[in-house]
Amino acid sequence: MARAQDAHSTLRALAKYGEAILEAHLRNGNRIPDSDDNLGLIETLEHHRLVWRIGESEDLQLKKVLVQFLDHITESERRRYASAQVHILWQQLSELFLEYKEAKKRSALSDIDRLEGEIKECLADVIEDIRNATEAFATYINTGFAYITDLNLRIRENERVIERAGRLITLFESFRIRELAEQAGSDAFLKRLLLRHLPATLESSQKNLSYALNQLRKMLVRMREDQRLSRMVGAFEAHFVNHPGFEPSIDHLDLRQIPEFLNTVAPFQIRGFGDIYDSADDLELIELAAKARTVPAEPESVEAPDNVAGVSFDVAGETEAEENDPVEEAIEELIQLLVDGDLGDRTILASEALASTGLEIDKADWLQAVVSEIESLPDDDQKQIEVIYHQIPHRIYADNVMVSDLTLRHNHAS
Amino acid sequence: MSSPLFERTVTALLQERVICEVSDDELYNYLLMPGNQDAVNRFLGQINRTLRQTSARDAFVCAYLDISDAGTKEAVRQQFRDVANNLEAFVQFLRLVMMLEANDRPVLPGDKLSEGHMLDRIAAAPALESRLRSLAEKKVFQTKRSDSAGQIRAVLSSLEKMGYLKPIGTSGSLYRATGRWSWLYDAMTFIQTHEGIQGAEEAESEQMRLH
Repeated sequence: MARAQDAHSTLRALAKYGEAILEAHLRNGNRIPDSDDNLGLIETLEHHRLVWRIGESEDLQLKKVLVQFLDHITESERRRYASAQVHILWQQLSELFLEYKEAKKRSALSDIDRLEGEIKECLADVIEDIRNATEAFATYINTGFAYITDLNLRIRENERVIERAGRLITLFESFRIRELAEQAGSDAFLKRLLLRHLPATLESSQKNLSYALNQLRKMLVRMREDQRLSRMVGAFEAHFVNHPGFEPSIDHLDLRQIPEFLNTVAPFQIRGFGDIYDSADDLELIELAAKARTVPAEPESVEAPDNVAGVSFDVAGETEAEENDPVEEAIEELIQLLVDGDLGDRTILASEALASTGLEIDKADWLQAVVSEIESLPDDDQKQIEVIYHQIPHRIYADNVMVSDLTLRHNHAS
Repeated sequence: MSSPLFERTVTALLQERVICEVSDDELYNYLLMPGNQDAVNRFLGQINRTLRQTSARDAFVCAYLDISDAGTKEAVRQQFRDVANNLEAFVQFLRLVMMLEANDRPVLPGDKLSEGHMLDRIAAAPALESRLRSLAEKKVFQTKRSDSAGQIRAVLSSLEKMGYLKPIGTSGSLYRATGRWSWLYDAMTFIQTHEGIQGAEEAESEQMRLH
């Protein structure tokens, strides 16, 4: 009864300090630091003989029985060591078979029974560990070693895992299942384990492992490329800091040596005409043509800012009267008088005509304007007017003449 | 008989677009088929052009077959000029994103970039804010905005216009990196080799050899 009570008490202690014990097992190499915080835990574990230590100053170590139990309940940990475990179990299995063979030779029935039981258990363990070992690699692929932040360490871990997977594949290849099966004797269950379950597990594990190995290698290539790119960015960054204003030189670039994928083309527009020569496209082209004219959008009413005076726009169709030029009017009247012949044979001096208008205009401009107006008349009207220039040659430049006035009259000869 | 996908693919390639899974998944998938690659290449070959893949093999570009002609040379030179002139800004952007994501690797095609997420990280770290300010002063990203949100938006939308990012959804604040980054890394690798730019690790090992 006392035993049962002790066992209960131990299990309760394990439950109470479960978290700290697991922490010690998973992260601290089964060691419990000898600190004030752990005083209660240490006392309890010592009381239940679950820890040991070499010296007073050393940390406490979980006892093997407890570690084995923890190994068993923490499957993830077991997976980590599964490949090594498979190897050990396989050796054990081979030894058990040797003993089994020996026992059968001697017809030691009780030993045969015992060994058959042990072989079955060991085989079941091997099958389970093979599965665990390969599953561990799937976990690595799924996480992508994301739990390791430093890229270099991640690469190293990836390399280690690849090595482990390689070792496991070699181990699987070394199994001689058929040889063991031949030693299995007449036990149907043992035969089934050896000839059916173990090969099936091995086959699927090898397949998974090969896939995992391939993925891990790809992952490693990618990580190494990431590392290269990261270093390149770092190198450029440092170069820009050390050489302010640095720009890679383009002018002396030897274009013959650039990698092919880098000589990318300049944009090249591919355009064609609408096929107006093929009547099959008529309907679509007509529709496009109908919409092709751009109709100017109605100007939106924009509110003028406060500091800008209002702007008035021309209204379509609106006319604005232009003021008449009095000089032009006077000349037109004069010319009309001459063309109509109202003056008869009389002549009129241009300067006198100017004086009669009362316009204040330079005489030279007046004379020039009269001549221009006459010259712009239609030929028939022009012929109606005779113009006599009052002129004298220039004193120095004799080819030039100085006009002082014009005598105008109706040309009856026309 | 013309094929719409063939036409769209060739037109996109001749328009200097980098075709990847993010930017044009339909055209990218079309180009993944060897038969389609041949058809496109046969056509491009007649106009002195060819189909190429970036070294990471995640994007297609159109390249000249023969660049001995002066006009072609100038066009290629212009490509490099564009990269060279803006390289410092791109490097600063990549470094900023690496710092924001606390990641050792630069932006890669397919990576998601969130304006909000970047802003949150920057708000928590004044040093990153000054990096962003410096980035927003670069010619290629230049903006008059003085707030971090406006600066990030300006940088990301400039990258979108240049084809480095593609918006996801309609919010305009989520982007995915395109294959143009792969092309940029190839161009940077070429420039690095050409200019003899060494990283800290290489320089260190060089020193070790000399001693």
